[in-house]
Amino acid sequence: MKKNYALPLFLASILIVAFAAVAGSGRNGSDLPAPPALGTTIDDFKLPDTDGAEHSLKSLTGKNGAVLIFISVQCPVSNAYNERMEKLAQDYKARGVNVIGINSNNTEPVAQVKSHAGEKHLTFTILKDDGNKIADRLGATKTPEVYVLDTSSKLVYHGRIDNSQKLEGITSNDLREALDEMLSGKPISKTGGAAFGCTIKRVS
Amino acid sequence: MRLRVSILLVGLAVACSFVGFAAPAQSNGARAAEPADVREINLEGLKKILQRDPKDTRPLLVNFWATWCDPCREEFPDLVKVDADYTAKRLNFVAVSLDDVADIKTAVPKFLKEMNATMPVVLLNVNDPEPAIHAVDEKWDGQLPATFLFDKDGKVVFKYFGRIKPEELRSAIDKAVGTKQ
Repeated sequence: MKKNYALPLFLASILIVAFAAVAGSGRNGSDLPAPPALGTTIDDFKLPDTDGAEHSLKSLTGKNGAVLIFISVQCPVSNAYNERMEKLAQDYKARGVNVIGINSNNTEPVAQVKSHAGEKHLTFTILKDDGNKIADRLGATKTPEVYVLDTSSKLVYHGRIDNSQKLEGITSNDLREALDEMLSGKPISKTGGAAFGCTIKRVS
Repeated sequence: MRLRVSILLVGLAVACSFVGFAAPAQSNGARAAEPADVREINLEGLKKILQRDPKDTRPLLVNFWATWCDPCREEFPDLVKVDADYTAKRLNFVAVSLDDVADIKTAVPKFLKEMNATMPVVLLNVNDPEPAIHAVDEKWDGQLPATFLFDKDGKVVFKYFGRIKPEELRSAIDKAVGTKQ
């Protein structure tokens, strides 16, 4: 008996190319959920670190708050901030604010994230956000991108680290100033800032 | 049998057209000219581009990109094709590079040459990017690539953050220029 392969082949080819088209495009910035408004309480979440151990946001938050930074292995802008992020983590850990890195790029596997952190001497916890669920929840679009949470997980700052990728060009140390104001109980005078960065590579 | 062959051929044709759409074009064969020199601009220069000459009624397409930005590199062949296809229809297209100014005579022109790009390209050199980002669009947070289409009145009629979808961009340009490509 002759088998009819035409229809299955047709359907298979459609499925394959449709998958290829979707996988190649990914989700882009224009159709992402908006980030939570300042003052919003960020719900607890769990993500694995680069060794696979799960952590909740609550467990990683310092007694005075947390700084979430979406980072990348390959992005030159994110990499320009490696030393500054590490210094920030050390300076503010002593003051009860923990820095937490999040890698949501689907193009950067966890092994790469781990070796990059070792090479760049990043000692703060880095979480791997497979499927970019937390990036979606927070409306994060680029690296580096910062979210500061106070002791009650309320979002008090969202934006850039500072104004310049080059150390010598820094004239506005927005994140540090916001943290200092938060720690001294003052209202934060600048609650964010825009800067150029690499788009987070999302799954479709 | 003929029906089976026809179905198979239709399937393959659809498959090929999808793959062709998903894969970036390699070059714009229609234009062999050398890329123009990349001009350095500051915030005022960017504002001037956005404010436009009142006598110029062409829609303005502005793409922000950098050689270090993977999706920017991936979408560039599509933008080169858009430039080639619409220039005759009087579309004003400016590509704004966010590369380091040290790359203005090296990495940036090298990439443009590889792309066979001949649209005007400027390199924005600002110490603080925030005023420049806000001058373009209040909703933009600085992620790259970013593409904006302004109509003749300077109103943003299309914007896209991330790698463009060429058909969406072309549809918006068609509307802005008032004709179908």
